[in-house]
Amino acid sequence: MNNRFTSLLRKELLDAVRDKRSVMAGLYYAFFTPVLLAVVLTAVINKATNPEDIEITITNGIEASNLVNYLSDRGISQGDDPDKLKNIELVISTDFSKQLNRAEPAEVTLIADQSEDSLRTAIARIKRALGSYSSEMVSLRLISRGINPNIINPIKVHIQDQATAVSKGGQIMGVMTMLMILSVFVAGMNLAIDTSAGERERNSLALLLSHPVSVLQLVMSKTVAVSIFGMLGLILTIIVSKFVYPFVPWQELGFSVDISGSFVLGALLAGFSVAIFAASMQLFVSFMAKSFKEAQTYISFVMFVPIAMSYAATLDFAVEELRWAPVSGQLQALIDLAKGKEIPLLQLAVSCLSTLIISLALIFGMERLLKSEKIVFGL
Amino acid sequence: MLIRMLLNWKGFSMLLDKMSSFRMMLGASLLVLMNLTSLTVAQEKNSPSYCYVDGLSDRLPCGFIQVAEDSSKPQGRKIDIHYVVIPAVKPVHPTEALLAIAGGPGQSAIDNAALFNNTFKKVRETRDILLIDQRGTGRSNILQCPQDNILSPLMVDEQGFDVIVETEKCLSNIESDLAMYDSSTAIHDFEAVRKFLGYEKLHVYGISYGSRMAQLYMRHYSEALLTVTLDGVVPMQQSVLAVGLSVDRALEGVLEQCAADAACNQQFPALRSDLSSLTNNLTNNPVTTKVFHPMTGNPETFLLTRDKLLGILRLSMYSPSTRALLPLAINLAASGNYQPLLGLYSLIMNGIDLAAGMHNSVVCAEDVHRVSTDLMADIEQSYTANSLYEAMVKSCSIWPSNRVDEKFFNPIESDIPTLLLSGELDPATPPDWGALAMVNMTNAAHFVAPYATHGVAAQTCGSDLVADLVDLGTVTDLDASCLSETHSKSFYLNPSSAQALQSKTTVEDSP
Repeated sequence: MNNRFTSLLRKELLDAVRDKRSVMAGLYYAFFTPVLLAVVLTAVINKATNPEDIEITITNGIEASNLVNYLSDRGISQGDDPDKLKNIELVISTDFSKQLNRAEPAEVTLIADQSEDSLRTAIARIKRALGSYSSEMVSLRLISRGINPNIINPIKVHIQDQATAVSKGGQIMGVMTMLMILSVFVAGMNLAIDTSAGERERNSLALLLSHPVSVLQLVMSKTVAVSIFGMLGLILTIIVSKFVYPFVPWQELGFSVDISGSFVLGALLAGFSVAIFAASMQLFVSFMAKSFKEAQTYISFVMFVPIAMSYAATLDFAVEELRWAPVSGQLQALIDLAKGKEIPLLQLAVSCLSTLIISLALIFGMERLLKSEKIVFGL
Repeated sequence: MLIRMLLNWKGFSMLLDKMSSFRMMLGASLLVLMNLTSLTVAQEKNSPSYCYVDGLSDRLPCGFIQVAEDSSKPQGRKIDIHYVVIPAVKPVHPTEALLAIAGGPGQSAIDNAALFNNTFKKVRETRDILLIDQRGTGRSNILQCPQDNILSPLMVDEQGFDVIVETEKCLSNIESDLAMYDSSTAIHDFEAVRKFLGYEKLHVYGISYGSRMAQLYMRHYSEALLTVTLDGVVPMQQSVLAVGLSVDRALEGVLEQCAADAACNQQFPALRSDLSSLTNNLTNNPVTTKVFHPMTGNPETFLLTRDKLLGILRLSMYSPSTRALLPLAINLAASGNYQPLLGLYSLIMNGIDLAAGMHNSVVCAEDVHRVSTDLMADIEQSYTANSLYEAMVKSCSIWPSNRVDEKFFNPIESDIPTLLLSGELDPATPPDWGALAMVNMTNAAHFVAPYATHGVAAQTCGSDLVADLVDLGTVTDLDASCLSETHSKSFYLNPSSAQALQSKTTVEDSP
């Protein structure tokens, strides 16, 4: 039995490796997703932490020369280069200095399209600068009237944050972990279609079944082969992540992202159960399909399920319930691990077990399917 | 923001004017603060405990080491030296830290953690910030003096203070060996904490009096240092009692800047005579006036004396924001409106977190006895400097201390990359003190920020220069042009605005 199973598995893997393009397509995702994410995030962080000077149009600035100087010390100034000039106008009221000197609210008008994405951070910065200019004036106006400006803070809130630099990066780690888990699904997908619907279309499935092997052995070998590819995708993602993410300047955002040894170990263990689930599910669906083409369509349908469940785990949706569910349970446990929290072993065990039970059910389901001629010949 | 700057300012606050300072620095607020922060308790050596400090939400590793109060008697009385680590966000250099040393003398570095955290945000991205409460300050066996709370600070008459009596009261309350709280003794504690925490090398930042500690670190443990930043520099050669002269210089700066500014000069054409008539009148006739309490709003009596006026002016010059109110405050007070002075006084009247006993231990051992005849002549010319000097001499006449020897005053010889920062408007440590400190430093750069007061790194892009120095390990590539690329703050022309009224004729572009 063992011997037959290994020969079958060897055959499946050989088959899979022969189709180099299909292999590449699966691993392509695993390799490039972390790289892409790192590049995009690096660019975003650099933009956020090294804000460029903002050039805007300031009308009637002479009325508020102090304010204009204050803004320019914060990198917001009247621009003259039309290429750099943002489409933002700050209009100082013609009565500005008069109003200011009478302690009436002195008016400025900010004219800009607030739905314009490229202007959003600039507008926020201008509002912030105007706010801090005002609050300094409030303090000094109160002082010059003999009042301690502390009285405008009736409550002083002390925040004692229990987070650590690592756990503050939890949201980012959530996205990364999700990408890792998804790589298991994506890496084995092509092989799953090829070895089921593809094999049938090449008419080699019937041939295979005519050999003295049990259907279960056949199904198992295919599941294991696809799982191995899924795991390969996962391992590749982890390796690439481990090398690429440290180059992202997370520390500038005040947190750190660390793919630790224990996280890698946890990801491999949790990924193992997910890989078997992904393989059996994809194979099951492909066998159900009548043709290669149809299999592709079905698979993209069912892929929605794990993606949705992973998303739900990283967003704030039914978090408690999903801790026990397959895929999302493993994902949440991994995120906890990444945040440096204690691992919820019971939840992890339950979700791994339920994942494996579903996988087994799918495998036995396939065994039954393949006993039907309708399925074997795609009738 | 403004309040934080005022409350966090680090200077020779105690020297502000000895008469009122006993009251100021011994304020009840200090005790409250200490009670709040006393949850800082260290546990066993290898399981670090965590602390929260005022103004910082992060959980910070903290603890203490025990040292002998008198190192020549290792079996004698022990004191705890507390530290807090603001951990690196991404510990790229786990064997290094930036040690930030507070001023005073007598201020707690840990109480100023939020300020240091803001200032050294960039450094913290990759390196720990290490804060140590110097012996006699903060949590490290603080040497405080008791204060009677009988009189409202609005009513206190500084002339009624007997320095000797107050000092005796303070002495009777302290059991520690006061001669063991000078800078040279304390520097060994810093090194002991470094070793305890396992840092191979330190970058050191010293502000104000902290710059003296940083220089001593250079002298005694240069092998442990990678870079040094001295901000608001007190050179080894300089007695801090000369600080009174800096106050006069800074006040002169306010007068000159106002005279040179068209709007200010137009509004306050006689500012210099306003100030002199105000001080002259107050010398003989302190003003008593009915006011509403700046916090509670209750009707109270405000006694304005010459000493109080000079104390207010001096402390207000520490922050560029409150400095902008001074011409207005002087001008209005000269014509009988004391509201701006009252408002400024309210920022300081409840005391400054400063350990007065530790302050005395340092100044009596290191400064009082080294006033040269030239310096003495200058001090005698200045009311502020003279009152500071006389009060300190009286205090020190009964304060137990071991006067440091001549070698202490030698300028530091060093080739450690050293950045010196001075603020042109500094009312405590003027820029030429920075130049004096670096005479024997072969690898130093001195930058003067034209619009900064005391503490350039906290007020300007000087913090970026510190971050660059720590990163690059050299002063040769530092670009300090950003220090002068900002604008100075305009003086307030009335209680509402610093913005000069525009004559309507310039506005004709209405459609």
